[in-house]
Amino acid sequence: MSHRTTLFELKDIHVEVEDKEVVKGVSLKVKAGEVHAIMGPNGSGKSSLSNALMGHPGYEITSGEAYLQGHSILEMPPDERSRAGLFLAFQYPLAVPGVTVANFLRAALKAHRGPEADMSDFRRLLKREMAALSIDPSFATRYLNDGFSGGEKKRVEILQMSVLNPKMALLDETDSGLDIDALKTVSGGINRFHNADNGILLVTHYQRLLNYVQPDFVHVMLGGRLVKSGGPELALKLEENGYDWVEQETGLTAEV
Amino acid sequence: MSKSNTDIQIPEAIPELERGPVWLRQRRQSSRQSYNSTPIPQRGLHLWRYTDPQRFVVDRGDASDTVYDENYDRIRQVELKHLESGHLSALVTDLGGREIEFYGIEKLGERGVAVMPVSEAVEKHHDLVERYLYELVSSSVGKFEAMNGALWNDGIFIYVPDGVTVDRPIHLIRELGRTDSVQFPRLLVVVGKNAELTLVDEYGGGAFGTQAGTSYSNGAVEIFGLEGSRTRYVTLQRQSAATTSYLTHRAGIERGASMLTLALAFGGAVTKQNFGVVLNGPGAESKIYGLLFGAGHQHFDNHTLHHHSSGQTRSDIDFKVVLRDRAISAYTGLIRIDPHAKSCEAYQENRNLLLNKGCRAETIPELEILNEDVTCTHGATLGPIDPLMVHYLQSRGIEHREAVRMIVAGFVSDTLRQVPADLRDRISEVVNQRLEHL
Repeated sequence: MSHRTTLFELKDIHVEVEDKEVVKGVSLKVKAGEVHAIMGPNGSGKSSLSNALMGHPGYEITSGEAYLQGHSILEMPPDERSRAGLFLAFQYPLAVPGVTVANFLRAALKAHRGPEADMSDFRRLLKREMAALSIDPSFATRYLNDGFSGGEKKRVEILQMSVLNPKMALLDETDSGLDIDALKTVSGGINRFHNADNGILLVTHYQRLLNYVQPDFVHVMLGGRLVKSGGPELALKLEENGYDWVEQETGLTAEV
Repeated sequence: MSKSNTDIQIPEAIPELERGPVWLRQRRQSSRQSYNSTPIPQRGLHLWRYTDPQRFVVDRGDASDTVYDENYDRIRQVELKHLESGHLSALVTDLGGREIEFYGIEKLGERGVAVMPVSEAVEKHHDLVERYLYELVSSSVGKFEAMNGALWNDGIFIYVPDGVTVDRPIHLIRELGRTDSVQFPRLLVVVGKNAELTLVDEYGGGAFGTQAGTSYSNGAVEIFGLEGSRTRYVTLQRQSAATTSYLTHRAGIERGASMLTLALAFGGAVTKQNFGVVLNGPGAESKIYGLLFGAGHQHFDNHTLHHHSSGQTRSDIDFKVVLRDRAISAYTGLIRIDPHAKSCEAYQENRNLLLNKGCRAETIPELEILNEDVTCTHGATLGPIDPLMVHYLQSRGIEHREAVRMIVAGFVSDTLRQVPADLRDRISEVVNQRLEHL
């Protein structure tokens, strides 16, 4: 895959939350068509990294650079990052009372396509993607995430990804809280989305999602840094042996 | 017109007090006496903590050379079109109780439905008017209710006979003049047994400018829902930003009757409104939706009352407030359940969305629950839009401004769903205007 172009690149990203540095220099290249996984114990900074990259107001990127298809994104507000092709599936998606799933997605897709765009295919598109993720059609008229179970919220995050079809998708703990059937459905959605032109960065604590979505590269995050990288076999080793051996090998501790 | 800051007395010999038959003139006189002898409520007393009572003390005004806003004619035309196309059953325009016009009432009349000035109803429906007028809104409520009780010119009377359904709304527009503008609107509604009515009661007009008290409105609404009746009452405050406005609404509903009250407020400089429903018979149900959207220096002071005087009754309040700029809202919601009123359910929620720093909201739940056998909950929230909710929408490509608009529209959507079709576009338009230049 080395002939492919770099899609997404992070250069020495530092992130602070409430004046505390939680990501301490992360560099990463994702080429078109690749799936990367960042694994790490709780508190290692992996969710902070993905939230900061999407422009979450509580996370400040204090230094470093981030490029999507060659465009620097850190100066952009979150909506512009999204329209440039970045997507984050949130770990804890918020409820938005009064705004239906369909209206929300229509507004988002319209924002991506532009105010003059033809939206006549929207209903069909939404129906198709909902069916593919085994989401009941009645969810289209329900308020976004309002009263949804954990698994329903995760499915609807993947639905949003399918409809918006981003270039680069960050999936933050998308597997957490899913039973095995939901995990299969959600990973099926991720695999269907994935193609030779887009990239995926999975952020996860556990290996089990990686049984269904095969990563090309696995990175271990500890103490706010990527301390080890390898192929899919690294994930299996972490599953068997936990993170202790990485801590010993690198001399770092998990907590930031 | 207005001379505030002193306790102005209503003189004994004025034309308003001479209107109507003897019994009515007596009630007007006793209202006048009560007004004159009741001191202005003290600032800080219950229900006056947030609004200066002096603001509502005015001279009775003078109707000469009244000019009406251009917007009034536009809205009148819009509603006449709705009448023509069958979205409305009837339209009534009420200019300060001095000129009241009725449109589309003939067809209703064929089914026994009366829509007429009170001055006519005192003859044609004498028993109903004498029995119900002043029954729920009178000097016993307070000084400013006594003021309306003495000074109203002519009012609107609506009667739906037993078993009759008025399936499209009757729409009332009460327009306050731009000049010499003081009005005391009055409304009496009787919905007969198993009858059904939707009524829209719209208050508009007033002086231009932003100085509170340049024009003045003090309204009284009494609605009686007899056994098994179903009533929807929608009130819309869209008076000018120079208008001081007072409104007392009371409804009484009997066994098995339901009442839906939708109180929408966007206008006025200082607006004090009091909505109350008394549940008098088992199976009676009342739902009150409130929605106000304040901007600039607008000041709103709202009260709601659900009084369960009978057991096995149910009430529910959903009062929503959106504020921006330096607008202020105070909401006081009282649930009263009488000692003998067993097995009642009462719910109350007041949610306040503050769109910027500088606006202010107060919420005061009051419970007088005098027996143990009740189910009652109340709740209140108050705060800015959750920035993480905005972030969530933005992360999907939606611009900040549009994200805020969508969240506010979502906040009010359950309430706006209750708005009758003929008003929906106009209300959405106002909501969207209010969200500009945030």
